[in-house]
Amino acid sequence: MTTTTRGRSDITRLLLTQRIPLLAVLIVVVVVTFFINDAGGYLTASYDFDYMSGSLISAVPLAMLGLAELIVILSGRGGIDLSVGAIVSLSGMIFGFAYGQWGWPLWFAIIATVLFGGLCGAVNGVLVSYIGFPALIATLATFYAFKSIAIVINNQQPISTPPIQELYSLSKSVELPVIGASVPDVPLGIFTFLLPTVVAVWLLLARTAYGRRLYAIGTNDVAARWSGLPVRDTRFKAYVYAGLISGLVAVVTVAQFASARPDAGVSGSGMALPAITIAVLGGVAITGGIGRVAGVVLATLLIVWLNAGILLAFVGNEGSQYQLLALGTVLVFAALLNGLTTRRYGGTV
Amino acid sequence: MTTESLNKNDKTEKNEKSPKRVRVLPAPVTGQEVVLVGVIALLWAGLALSTPAFLTAGSIQPLLVATAPIALIGVGMTIVIITGGIDVSVGGAIMVCSVLTAKTLVGSGVNLGVAVLLSVLTGGVLGLVNGVLIAYGRVHAIIITFGTANLFMFLGLQIFGSGTVNGIPGTLAFFGRGPDGRTLGVPHAFLITVLVTAAAWWYLRHTAGGRHFFAIGGDAQAARLAGVRVQRRVLLAYTTTGLLVGLASCFVIAQGTSTLDQTVGSGKELAVIAAVVIGGTSIMGGRGSVLGTLLGALLVQSVASGVTQLGWRSQLSDLFVGIFIIVAVGADLLRARARRSR
Repeated sequence: MTTTTRGRSDITRLLLTQRIPLLAVLIVVVVVTFFINDAGGYLTASYDFDYMSGSLISAVPLAMLGLAELIVILSGRGGIDLSVGAIVSLSGMIFGFAYGQWGWPLWFAIIATVLFGGLCGAVNGVLVSYIGFPALIATLATFYAFKSIAIVINNQQPISTPPIQELYSLSKSVELPVIGASVPDVPLGIFTFLLPTVVAVWLLLARTAYGRRLYAIGTNDVAARWSGLPVRDTRFKAYVYAGLISGLVAVVTVAQFASARPDAGVSGSGMALPAITIAVLGGVAITGGIGRVAGVVLATLLIVWLNAGILLAFVGNEGSQYQLLALGTVLVFAALLNGLTTRRYGGTV
Repeated sequence: MTTESLNKNDKTEKNEKSPKRVRVLPAPVTGQEVVLVGVIALLWAGLALSTPAFLTAGSIQPLLVATAPIALIGVGMTIVIITGGIDVSVGGAIMVCSVLTAKTLVGSGVNLGVAVLLSVLTGGVLGLVNGVLIAYGRVHAIIITFGTANLFMFLGLQIFGSGTVNGIPGTLAFFGRGPDGRTLGVPHAFLITVLVTAAAWWYLRHTAGGRHFFAIGGDAQAARLAGVRVQRRVLLAYTTTGLLVGLASCFVIAQGTSTLDQTVGSGKELAVIAAVVIGGTSIMGGRGSVLGTLLGALLVQSVASGVTQLGWRSQLSDLFVGIFIIVAVGADLLRARARRSR
């Protein structure tokens, strides 16, 4: 075997087993493809850095919920959370009441909403971790329950009083300080919500004892118990963290729509399925114990910029249909790739 | 546990004269099913007392018709979940089958048999796609079917073109709510569902092929070593679900008015899974019954119907669905714990 072929197979192996370089390459491919199409005049509007930056606003809820799923799926034993969308709906209504109708100060309303989301997550956590429900079942049940309560709580009416409408300013784009003139404006939500969440989750998973415990129980539940780890508490907290993040997403969503909508997180195919998709695409193993924050963030960027380009490549609602095609294809291939690498190289890192 | 019982089965058949026959099959009716019958009876009695109109043919017949598609798909989903898998793409598959069939009915006015055949075959192909990917791609069922759910929705929306399908002729009224859809007062859709459930119950309980599904769900590796063709069985489970989705889509078209809109099928996958789980099938695989699924679907639909008849908000029924899932699975967990500690 010559060195060149060896070198090539090393690169193949790197791309197949290391999800992060693969995602980075895919992002470059997607962006370059749309730039070329744009230069050729095939798009209905210009696909440039301004457009890419503006489209990041849809990355905020997606990436945050993807991180919520990351934490839950990491905890292992079939961990998954189907109820995040319903928690977003219900917490959003709570935020609507607190800030829009009862006139609480904004910071207090946000804290209350996030804590409420955490409470919803705690319900999941108790069911899964302490009582022993399979996560799919417990969160399916709470999905139905939270969704129903969110709709009934205000008689199906959205809350869009003046204070809520003014929140829309949170989702507009701002110019960055110092370097602002030379780079595109970035949606404010990226800085106020997404980046703090990303940093917090990264610190939690990579820099705290809790993070190590979470990976440990996800990799081998029994071994972790015999090592004296508080398995139940750790798994319980994973669902609480997912709930807290969902509560924060509720605030983002209310600001984005300028209205607290009772079906915000569950309309259409809901928010949970895209979030799980993002997590899986980002290299999170559905069996638990494997997954990184960077993978989830890159997977979000890939999907958001792909979707943004598809919207420009088709006229009317064709675009949103082709987004489904793209999402489905990417997910199926990611899953097949995970299966392939597991068999050939012993797993994705 | 199931492979073990299979072996015992062989032994008892050989030693016909052995004085004490060991019971090798699970009880024909599980405790969960008895409880479900009781709960449904209580619910119906309560509803009959509070709204006298409930226990009339005009109220029960639509209830049975509405139960049919969920329960019918639930038969396939039960088999899939028994093997340890899951199929969250049935909502998308319903959309593809029903819009294709509806468009064909509008466009070329085919007769009932052709329409049903078209829908069932379409569903079968979609199920086959899932089955091939899961059995031979060896990937997690939930991930793959999330992916194919998106692909099916894309396909369905493409066939829809723009807006709704209008002016669907009454060819499928045989399955509908109207007088054409009943024989001796029993809706055809529900009758077919009961027959399919009965056949599946017998197949799963009394044939080697049926027991193989349980063996796979119990321990796929052990099943393979015992000679079960795991991949083919898994393929069969998803294809069966697809075929039943096709038939159920005919019920869905027949239940509606002459129009079909783009929300068709949305959220149905979770409704089917809820019915299966309430019916006592273990999501971990290896244990379950189609009879329970039928009862679970009936219970969910009874609650939905009751909530509307009591004049409450219809979305409130989802809250009860959530509570039922927790209670049903929770009771099962407690029983399992009691078995272990005994």
